[in-house]
Amino acid sequence: MDRYRTIVFLCTIAFCVAFSSAEANAQSAPPNEHPGRAVHILGFADAPKNLKCTLVVEGSSLKLKSKGHDQEVLLTSIEDVLTGADSVRAIGGTLGTISMFGPYGSGRFLSLFRKKTSTLTIEYRDADGGYHGAVFSLDQGQSEPLKKQLVAAGAHTSVPIEQTPATAAKPASGGAQ
Amino acid sequence: MNIRNGQSQITLPPAVGNFRLFFAAGAICILAAFAARPSFAADQPPLRLNGHAIQVQKIISSEVKLPAAFQYAIYENTLEEIKKSARFKTVYREGDKAAAGAADLLVLETDATGFKEGSARERQVTTVAGATTIKVHIKLLDKDGKVVLERDVQGKVHFFGENMNATHALAKSIAKVLKENFIAPKPGATS
Repeated sequence: MDRYRTIVFLCTIAFCVAFSSAEANAQSAPPNEHPGRAVHILGFADAPKNLKCTLVVEGSSLKLKSKGHDQEVLLTSIEDVLTGADSVRAIGGTLGTISMFGPYGSGRFLSLFRKKTSTLTIEYRDADGGYHGAVFSLDQGQSEPLKKQLVAAGAHTSVPIEQTPATAAKPASGGAQ
Repeated sequence: MNIRNGQSQITLPPAVGNFRLFFAAGAICILAAFAARPSFAADQPPLRLNGHAIQVQKIISSEVKLPAAFQYAIYENTLEEIKKSARFKTVYREGDKAAAGAADLLVLETDATGFKEGSARERQVTTVAGATTIKVHIKLLDKDGKVVLERDVQGKVHFFGENMNATHALAKSIAKVLKENFIAPKPGATS
């Protein structure tokens, strides 16, 4: 039993070391390796929550491309585009939940490893004038180029690109400008 | 106690092992139940109001700096949770032109009054630290601008989950306030 526990413990450490080096490699990767790759958190047209997708600026619209869930929003209807910073657990989902039951607090240890991400938030109006707020999570450094693309193509923003802070916060009124 | 090769080893009876397993499972269930639970600032008697249509206004933050992602998430989650509550026949977004013609339209205004961004890492490592809390003041107005309902509501994420989960907990709390104070519309009623 002791031998089994030792093996499990060593495997966990090996896994963590391997993963942390992989994470370091991922962070040093060039930012444009997967342009537009995002996770749709919520709010973009009828796309489901937590949908892995690709965001593309094509013609006069922002398109969310994903198997069976393609959606688009006209750039002229976008009233605000903001970027921000966030982080997510490096090992998430089902595996992340299972890891919580690991021995010797290994689940908590794995929680120390987090991946930096950037967020892209879009405020737009639908055809009926209804207000929508969409939130996307992208790889670190990916939201700024996409924001530039959107603004260049005709979308509006309340925070000019040059002055965009690391964590965008809405003005006191909370409304789009 | 078993002694093998000069080393002592304590062998626990199976009942103790089972007890530990059940204890751990019970603790996890309790923690999961409390994680990201909706909570209320004040409990007041239900009003039993009627409402056919509701329009949700976007979140304003007059007292605190609430990140845009949180504002949008609260707004979208609130719309979703109000639809799920089935207390209103129609739920309109802010700016929806169709809301102008709706009878008995109520307008939900949400003002963020408190925001404490915790740390998901702290929560997951320590369990007790790093909670994220969002406090809002909600007001429900009728067409004349008269306040029909007013409450302080908060959403928290205590143990597991990312900070954004607090927005979902808050939306659930808002929907619960409405559910408690409104009676479900009759099937034949129109807005």
